[in-house]
Amino acid sequence: MKRAMSFLLAAAMVASCGVTAAAEEGEVLKVAAIETAYGSEMWQEVCEAFTAETGIEVDLVTDKNLEDVIGPSMKSGDFPDVIHLATGREDALTETFIKDQNIVDITDVLSMTVPGEEAVVGDKIAGGFTETSLTNPYGDGKTYLAPMFYSPCGLFYNAGLFEEKGWEVPTTWDEMWALGDVAKEEGISLFTYPTTGYFDAFFYALMYSVGGAEFFDQATNYAEGIWDTPEAQTCFDIVAKLAEYTEPTTPAQANDQDFTKNQQLVLDNKALFMPNGTWIVGEMAEAPRADGFEWGMTALPAVEDGGDRYSYTWFEQAWIPSGAQNQDAAKQFIAYLYSDTACEIFAKSGAIQPVLNISEKLEGDNQMFYSIYDNGAKAAMGNFAAFTPIEGMDNRTVWFDPVNSLVSGTITEEEWIDGIKSASDQMRANLIQ
Amino acid sequence: MKKRSGRSRFLFLCVAPAVVLFTVFMIIPTLNVFRMSLFKRSAYSPTEDFVGLDNFTRLLQDANFIRSMQNTILLIVVVTVITFAFALIFAAILTREKIKGQNFFRVIFYIPNILSVVVISAIFSAIYDTNNGTLNSLLSFLSGKTVAILWKGEGMVMVSLIIAMVWQAIGYYMVMYMASMASIPQSLYESASLDGAGRITQFFQLTLPLIWTNIRTTLTFFIISTINMAFLFVKAMTSGGPNGASEVALSYMYKQAYTNSSYGYGMAIGALVFLFSFGLSALVNAVTKRETLEF
Amino acid sequence: MEHRKKSTSEGIYKLFIYVALITLAVTIIVPVAWVFMASIKQNSEFYGNPWALPMGVHLQNFADAWNKARMGEYMLNSVLVTALALILLLVIALPAAYALSRFQFRGRKILNVAFMAGLFINVNYIVVPIFLMLVDGDTWLRQIFGTGLLLNNVVVLAVVYASTALPFTIYLLSGYFATLPHDFEEAAYIDGAGYGVTMVKVIFPMAQPSIITVILFNFLSFWNEYIIAMTLLSDPKGAKTLPVGLMQLTQAQQAATEYGQLYAGLVLVMLPTLILYICVQKKLTQGMTLGGLKG
Repeated sequence: MKRAMSFLLAAAMVASCGVTAAAEEGEVLKVAAIETAYGSEMWQEVCEAFTAETGIEVDLVTDKNLEDVIGPSMKSGDFPDVIHLATGREDALTETFIKDQNIVDITDVLSMTVPGEEAVVGDKIAGGFTETSLTNPYGDGKTYLAPMFYSPCGLFYNAGLFEEKGWEVPTTWDEMWALGDVAKEEGISLFTYPTTGYFDAFFYALMYSVGGAEFFDQATNYAEGIWDTPEAQTCFDIVAKLAEYTEPTTPAQANDQDFTKNQQLVLDNKALFMPNGTWIVGEMAEAPRADGFEWGMTALPAVEDGGDRYSYTWFEQAWIPSGAQNQDAAKQFIAYLYSDTACEIFAKSGAIQPVLNISEKLEGDNQMFYSIYDNGAKAAMGNFAAFTPIEGMDNRTVWFDPVNSLVSGTITEEEWIDGIKSASDQMRANLIQ
Repeated sequence: MKKRSGRSRFLFLCVAPAVVLFTVFMIIPTLNVFRMSLFKRSAYSPTEDFVGLDNFTRLLQDANFIRSMQNTILLIVVVTVITFAFALIFAAILTREKIKGQNFFRVIFYIPNILSVVVISAIFSAIYDTNNGTLNSLLSFLSGKTVAILWKGEGMVMVSLIIAMVWQAIGYYMVMYMASMASIPQSLYESASLDGAGRITQFFQLTLPLIWTNIRTTLTFFIISTINMAFLFVKAMTSGGPNGASEVALSYMYKQAYTNSSYGYGMAIGALVFLFSFGLSALVNAVTKRETLEF
Repeated sequence: MEHRKKSTSEGIYKLFIYVALITLAVTIIVPVAWVFMASIKQNSEFYGNPWALPMGVHLQNFADAWNKARMGEYMLNSVLVTALALILLLVIALPAAYALSRFQFRGRKILNVAFMAGLFINVNYIVVPIFLMLVDGDTWLRQIFGTGLLLNNVVVLAVVYASTALPFTIYLLSGYFATLPHDFEEAAYIDGAGYGVTMVKVIFPMAQPSIITVILFNFLSFWNEYIIAMTLLSDPKGAKTLPVGLMQLTQAQQAATEYGQLYAGLVLVMLPTLILYICVQKKLTQGMTLGGLKG
């Protein structure tokens, strides 16, 4: 009996050895990428270019709901080698991996040369992108997630309508409220949002513009008493006041099925501003719109005259799960994503890599969007620090989902803040060190 | 003797496959729900820590869970009452009255029950649209002024779910009651008529008592079915929003297990829902116990 | 005088009934017809009034849904899973129900109770443990054979469907078997037929009405199911069933939604159930008297 067991074990070991060996010989790199408004062809092209450059075969998977398609097989231990996916999505897959510390440290990729080029990866990536809490989630100076496709987020509006009415785009919140009152008389609401998920970028930029980087860092690390500070109060007050100016049907449509109806409000001149990203142009390309409609985008208004204005830079991340089989090839692949060839392929579909001097190569709406930082706005980056999963609690349900209730008037600003304070305490206690 | 052994072998072959599959895919997972509810387990790294009843004590302080249970109970009570009332009335009308196109109505009323929830949620998304939706257009037309009810807003989202669920369920239960009502002998109604009993008296004195057994069975299963259907509707129609206003027990369980990476916590919810539905069924069964009437 | 008063109130009553019946019928026919109408609209028409008539017949949607959105493939999977699950279910449940309802043997009572209790176990309560069980199975298989084959496997999905439908099916079939007189079997035994032959040749043909009911109900539930399918078929390039594909299409964000394809897909998922229902609606509604419940 014992003999039979050891025989079985040996057989199993041989079998498993055979498998890893085979994987190395063939070197098939499994890449999983989210398909967003940019489409999936660009990924196909980049993978082909990578194979041509390095000889490593790539097995590519793209899907609009990548979590639903790779999530379950990963739970069964079958991991892609490279995953490209944004944080802040409903399924929070990247966040889960960060929380569980299941991501490979890729700091060494920054000093690798880009395959087929002379340049070092770290020199190509634009400043600040590899120093944020999104790429270095544990604050230990190590990079775990590679910054991908950046897109400035801001408030989107109909520039044509502003021209027609002779309105100025507000530069301070006081001007914003004044505009809100003027627009109300014309039957136009000041504000709408697709879903509460879109408040993350908005709120990050708001925190920067109210209290600067220091406040932002403390707040996103749930520092003790941070939500009692006057800065925090200003942020809360602005959101609460914005809720009063929000188009009333917004919360009813702020769900995964109906969110385009909120975006449509801006196209139909029923609401002036909405927080969004540059993908909106492609997403709503076929939607009908008011006469003379023209996309405009602005940074968040300043808190006081002459104050700093911020626009959050949304970027996606590529990372290697700890369970990946071909980690070395995966690192090469990530380095290759910053090559000139890859950047051009991506840019053709509208996906802009965070490499230096890229905005010069753009045209049309994109030039306007990506030049937002040339017009005096500062870039806000980073996000809430990761914590080990807390039962029944996550950032979005605590901070942003209640905005729906603020708009409907079913909770007060104080109740919202109280919820944040008590959640913040628990999150601090569970921070991943 | 030979025959006996053949008999047991035959019975074994008949029953064994069903017992095996039933055990593997229903009994073991059910026991696992209860076992896992005592552990903390994260989604992608399968380490389990025994935490005793921690998940449960946490649940009882979780305002979102309590709201999801309240919503579940609300749906069970309201959807059941409305569906049963409509189903019984329509069944009585279609069996007792001489109606033109009786068969046509029966066929049509049953249709929602054969549709996928994905289809139903797409239909209701268009019905509940605030600006162009049928419901608001119809109400505006009837009232003469512009009605802009936020059907999927915080105040109305549960009402919207109730309407959709009732719409889906009426036909099924109606057809079921029609079948048992049709087996009541006509002579009973004739003699009741002679005694001067009107339609309503007949309905309460004759029809209801005579199909009571059927009503009891359906009621028990309606509870379980509603808990389940509420999950399907919420997942497809509202994702639990706005701000958790339409979260129900099973959708919260799914969210905690899959989205928030807390399997143990999710299973604790599952265990509670299990006990709850079982208890409620038993309660309903006990409360509705009557002397069975035979005809 | 008395008589005329009675007949006017009778008239009003009749009118009222018809209004009620027609209203309910309209609320069902119009939305379902609307899905068909929407499926031939151009993509840009979906941003306007959802109830506007289509500007033209855009049948391209169906071709696009079938090819580009992979609905053709999903449809094939749905057909495969449903058919396989039904066959398995019948092969396993029929003998079990027969043995449990018509033979006295040790353990019969406890098995009957167990399957009855199974009626209370809703699949959606236990989808997480089932999933984790298959995950563990796959991890184990991968260690030994280098590849897992339990997840992303339509056959396994069909087995899960069949297993979780066992309690309902056995309950329904045993109920029917119990009503058949014992004379037939005794006659067959006297003629020298064995247990198996008697069951297949004598009893099953007599149970045909209840078998048809079982097939119909389970067809509807397998065909429309999406939670288990979504959880167990996870490979992006692998198989998906129609409802899962549609669900993912309705909720895709940050990408332009292809509404035309979506609604064409909704028609594809709805059409088979509607056609089947229209063909067999008499049998379906008759069959409900047999079971009188749904799981």
